[in-house]
Amino acid sequence: MRHPLLEPWKPTRAEPWDRAAAAHLLRRAGFGASPTSLVRAVEDGPERTLERLFAPEGHAPELHDGITSLLASGNHELLQAWWMALLLANGDPLGERVTLFWHDHFATSIAKVDDVRLMHRQNSLLRAHGLGDFRKLLHAMAKDPAMLVWLDGNQNRRGHPNENFAREVLELFALGIGHYDERDIQEAARAFTGWGTDGREFAFHRDHHDDGPKTVFGKTGRHDGDAVIELVLAHPECPRFVARRLIEEFVAVEVGRDVIAALGAELVARDWSIAATLRTLLGSKLFFARDARRARIAGPVELVVGIALALELEIAPREAAALAARMGQALFRPPSVKGWDGGRTWINAGTWLERVNAGLAVAESFENGERTLAGLAHAPAEAAEQALERLFGGDADPELAGIVRSAAARRDSPRAAFAHAVAAITSAPEYHLA
Amino acid sequence: MLTTRRSFLIGGLAVTAAVPLSSRAVRAAAAFGGADERVLVVLQLGGGNDALNTVVPHRQDAYYKSRPTLALARSALHRLDDDFGLHPSLGGLAPLFAEGRAALVHGVGYPKPDRSHFRSMEIWHTADPVRPPGSRGWLGRIADELAERAPGSLPALHVGDGDLPLALRAERSFTPTVRGAEGLALRANAAASGETRAALLDRAASSEPRRELEFLRSAARTTYRAAERMSALAAKRSAVVYPNSKLGERLGLIAKLVAGGFGTRVFHVELAGFDTHSRQAPVHAALLAELGDALSAFQRDLEAQGVGRRVVTLVFSEFGRRVEENGSKGTDHGAAAPVLVCGGNVRPGLHGTPPDLERLVDGDVPFTTDFRGLYASLERDWLGVERTTDVTPVPLFA
Repeated sequence: MRHPLLEPWKPTRAEPWDRAAAAHLLRRAGFGASPTSLVRAVEDGPERTLERLFAPEGHAPELHDGITSLLASGNHELLQAWWMALLLANGDPLGERVTLFWHDHFATSIAKVDDVRLMHRQNSLLRAHGLGDFRKLLHAMAKDPAMLVWLDGNQNRRGHPNENFAREVLELFALGIGHYDERDIQEAARAFTGWGTDGREFAFHRDHHDDGPKTVFGKTGRHDGDAVIELVLAHPECPRFVARRLIEEFVAVEVGRDVIAALGAELVARDWSIAATLRTLLGSKLFFARDARRARIAGPVELVVGIALALELEIAPREAAALAARMGQALFRPPSVKGWDGGRTWINAGTWLERVNAGLAVAESFENGERTLAGLAHAPAEAAEQALERLFGGDADPELAGIVRSAAARRDSPRAAFAHAVAAITSAPEYHLA
Repeated sequence: MLTTRRSFLIGGLAVTAAVPLSSRAVRAAAAFGGADERVLVVLQLGGGNDALNTVVPHRQDAYYKSRPTLALARSALHRLDDDFGLHPSLGGLAPLFAEGRAALVHGVGYPKPDRSHFRSMEIWHTADPVRPPGSRGWLGRIADELAERAPGSLPALHVGDGDLPLALRAERSFTPTVRGAEGLALRANAAASGETRAALLDRAASSEPRRELEFLRSAARTTYRAAERMSALAAKRSAVVYPNSKLGERLGLIAKLVAGGFGTRVFHVELAGFDTHSRQAPVHAALLAELGDALSAFQRDLEAQGVGRRVVTLVFSEFGRRVEENGSKGTDHGAAAPVLVCGGNVRPGLHGTPPDLERLVDGDVPFTTDFRGLYASLERDWLGVERTTDVTPVPLFA
């Protein structure tokens, strides 16, 4: 039986499916919404909106494949810009949201991998398996060339094991501290010996492989890397670990162990389908609860894409990626194998100013006519309402809305009123909660 | 009470507020740490500085034999002692040595030198030549410790325009990057009203108090206060004229922050471009001139403002370069190199074992002093914080 909090949420008179609820779903399952997609979601209701998130229009092929000719440049910024272009085009919001989630989970940085082709290949792998079978995803990541470079697969040899990858699989990718011991790491590392790269491909170097017996989680055998991944997947903590990560990322409220266990059981019952598990989570009472809304601090990429979608900004993907990087999230360049710590660590004096300054720069571009809003109202007061509608999806509390209105008041043009409202909203702490 | 109308934040922002000047200054100092605490500036020479053409062993024939085109004539050097002289472009630093305010430690490095820029820098940044790096650098660890002692302070700052250096990555505190001489600043913008910003932050707790919201509000307040203070300090005039260079600009800002009591204890700044594989001479001379001129201005500035004794600057590079010049009038990646320490109560002069070019290991000067011993002294004897490693401190201070 399902946990009551994971039961499907049904709108009621007290908690209706309204703009605020729809905006919440589109912020968490994607990167926010353009005005038209928000209206459509409100009209469609939660079921159909979720359906569409799981069966998106998809990316325009020329956008998706556009990177192929650019990879030869070896330029990391072009790769960032390419991914940012996919995010801004918003053809598959959930797919990209999940790809970003796994990029953070299996955090690999070009700072060490130093090869845009390998980083692109890993990114494609995350996109291909991100909503699929977690078992396949984990197996695929274990043999991903960028991952092998990142965690020193090539240095892991019989007699001289390098524990880097084995440790992170257990600690960060699949189980978490407390569910294995140092010996499990040492033995698992031996099983992965010989897994490395040859050029840009995975290669099994038989002469470097230690094929002696190993004991992992109390099970002894001549385990190889695949066998260890299977042992990890068979560990009772693994589904719970994945469930916990999904809840942290997509719901972001503290939940009891019973909820985590229930979602973990769902993952296993659904043949490890990430999509099916996430569908349950995103449609649940837990997800739509009031205290889950705007409960988490938006990450830089979410924030930048969110503003761009809401205001339908023309923004160069490269510029958007650079903005997110200055705010602390450089795509393909997480700070360590732990990924971005996220939450409160997104915020410091430098990044807060970057966030506020980015909003001010956008406001300025509307004020000086560099950008124009299609359908900008004629009356300045209405222009301020447009900014509130677009950026807050209509759920700004009355006092906040009042501050925004007074910031825009007494401006003599709708353009200026809109700009001042945008400046006020984007510098409001509330706006940085997703 | 003395009050003044002053700009809430500089940068063209329209809002002014009547504030009691003295109490505000006191509060700001309390919020950001003491005004009399010791400061460490780490200046990184990125790319692998050619140590032998920086601190030149002009009495060793092997130097002239190994470097047919790059060797520097003894007569052009600035004398350090009987055996060593500074590159001709480092004239700015010569008085620091002559007057006993600077020290050099010969042969600094670590066991099994790594010739990869990335890896070797990682080793210097984490103080760990063995294990793969974690997420925290040696200065980040110090920042964590200082932040724990003074919650809400900004213990460390990165002054530069790249990514946050690994050295500064912390676990429990944050290290902002300050890009330019203007410091941390809000974008000058007509649409940015301080009144609105204040209204957004001064709201009573909403009907549904949310912890993350309260956190953001408090972070925003701290930030605006830091930016205001930094902007005010950055707008001041330096006590000396700095050379017109990025490094000069950055060190100039650091001097203003230190002298103004901003409270940051650790600064990290970089001068890059030292990877001189070909036609090294003019590039290297220009880089060293930028270094020497900026650093000497910085030191004079600090002293003119009476804070020279509070600031120590460590100058290092990820490795030196090979003794033998290569076929393109350049030098390739090497190993140990001297480290420069100036300011504070540093024991002046030349320390450590001078390099002997007749006794090389794999064509490199071997290390004779572990860099972690310098870190340990900076931690224990200078900043008064815990030590990152248990390597014995190399006594740097009087």
